[in-house]
Amino acid sequence: MEYVNPEGLRLDGRRPMEMRQLRAEIGVVSRADGSASFEMGNTKVIAAVYGPREVQNRSQQMNDQALVRCEYSMANFSTGDRRRKTKGDRRSTEISLVIRQTMEACILTNLMPRSQIDIYVQVLQADGGTRSACINAATLALADAGIPMRDLVTSCSAGYLNSTPLLDLNYLEDSAGGADVTVGILPKLDKVTLLQMDAKLPMDIFENVMQLAVEGCKAVDSYIREILLENTKTLEIHRGV
Amino acid sequence: MVGLSVGEKNFIKGGIAQDLRNDGRKRLTYRPIYVETGVIPQANGSARVKLGETDVIASVKAELGKPRVSHPDQGKVYIYVECSPTAEPSFERRGGDELSTELSIALERSLLGGKSGAGAGINPASLLIKEGKVCWDLYVDCLVISSDGNLLDALGAAIKAALSNTGIPRVQVREAASSDEQADVDVSDEEFLQFDTSGVPVIVTLTKVGRHYIVDATSEEESLMSSAVSISVNRHGMICGLTKRGGAGLDPSVILDMISVAKHVSEQLLNKLDSEIEAAERANEEEP
Repeated sequence: MEYVNPEGLRLDGRRPMEMRQLRAEIGVVSRADGSASFEMGNTKVIAAVYGPREVQNRSQQMNDQALVRCEYSMANFSTGDRRRKTKGDRRSTEISLVIRQTMEACILTNLMPRSQIDIYVQVLQADGGTRSACINAATLALADAGIPMRDLVTSCSAGYLNSTPLLDLNYLEDSAGGADVTVGILPKLDKVTLLQMDAKLPMDIFENVMQLAVEGCKAVDSYIREILLENTKTLEIHRGV
Repeated sequence: MVGLSVGEKNFIKGGIAQDLRNDGRKRLTYRPIYVETGVIPQANGSARVKLGETDVIASVKAELGKPRVSHPDQGKVYIYVECSPTAEPSFERRGGDELSTELSIALERSLLGGKSGAGAGINPASLLIKEGKVCWDLYVDCLVISSDGNLLDALGAAIKAALSNTGIPRVQVREAASSDEQADVDVSDEEFLQFDTSGVPVIVTLTKVGRHYIVDATSEEESLMSSAVSISVNRHGMICGLTKRGGAGLDPSVILDMISVAKHVSEQLLNKLDSEIEAAERANEEEP
């Protein structure tokens, strides 16, 4: 199958280095301490953060740092064919773990000992790149909850099909069998916190693909900062400052 | 769970007794309702309903299936509710299962009518394609994103909105050679049929707090309830389903009184909901 046509356009009409449209909103779950929705094209996720609060299970309490937990769930209607999934299957457990580890790396957990922070991500529509979208939504939700962080974490994926590096794969491209590199970075510190790849790539091409994904992360970062700034401004207006 | 002090509890109860609740509503007033349709593009129909801080999504997916042997002339409708942990941390892992099942069963009872299909919001016979062979299976999947009480009414409204947003492809049955052969069908991807949703009831839940009952209780008010009665009423003022929850017993005369109040309230709710759905559909048409 041809994923990049001779004119250099992808299946959904994007250029190889073009991202899908990003959309984010803060405060979508009003009862949570922090929440956000994040859309990358047709992929749409919601993240809600509860905490820092008392540790629910005393045996998990840590006296020098906060406990960070994460649960990833997919809505029944999120995928094309309707499937009733059981909670806690291997895939969602793995993604929960990935998100938890990524977010834990940027939260200043030592500032909140003996407390717990819960991150819940809910996928409403899955069209490739749910992992990245979940991390971006979780970052926004944590920022909304006012949880101290080293930096924002942003994530983006890139792949390699028809000898072209492609940014931000959608479902069709993701299931094409080519390499899929998901990268998460701390943009200000310029550090990589998450790196996953399946399939295989030659070393020099991998470097290009990863570089492309990092560029994607930086683009996501500037968008997220814009949204946060906008949100702060509206909060300021509400306070009448 | 909501943690309330004795003072707060008394304040809420006192407010209800004086017909002025915490958020300024009267006992029989709903919170503002907000409807958005077509939120899930890959479904046949979908809607998101916000009722105060309660936020739910309903989606309808149609699949070709086989009618039940007991009712060869009817299609099938299934309702599933899922409670996302974003709404309440206690819903994580399997924590929301109990509530999900309770809500699914209550919704099926309120909206789908009896086994024979009598009193159903969607006429199951209209889902039939070929008797005994092919029919539409409607899967109604609901997701609770944020919960601030009165989930059942919000879910009922979301399902009604999602059904009126639903388009089912027109299907043509090719004449099969012999009767026992698998029926051959042509699913059109251009022509879509709309449902007649005028018969879909709305659910009105009356929550009894102290000596009075209120509609559209918030989760604070729900934590004080002694019992609640959910009544589904359709356009013609007919009662399509009834569920009582909560431990305390109710006097039969009170229940009859509640039903007549619910019937009255449902008229306003239906009108409000219909105009909201219409506005949402209009907004959808204008957008692209």
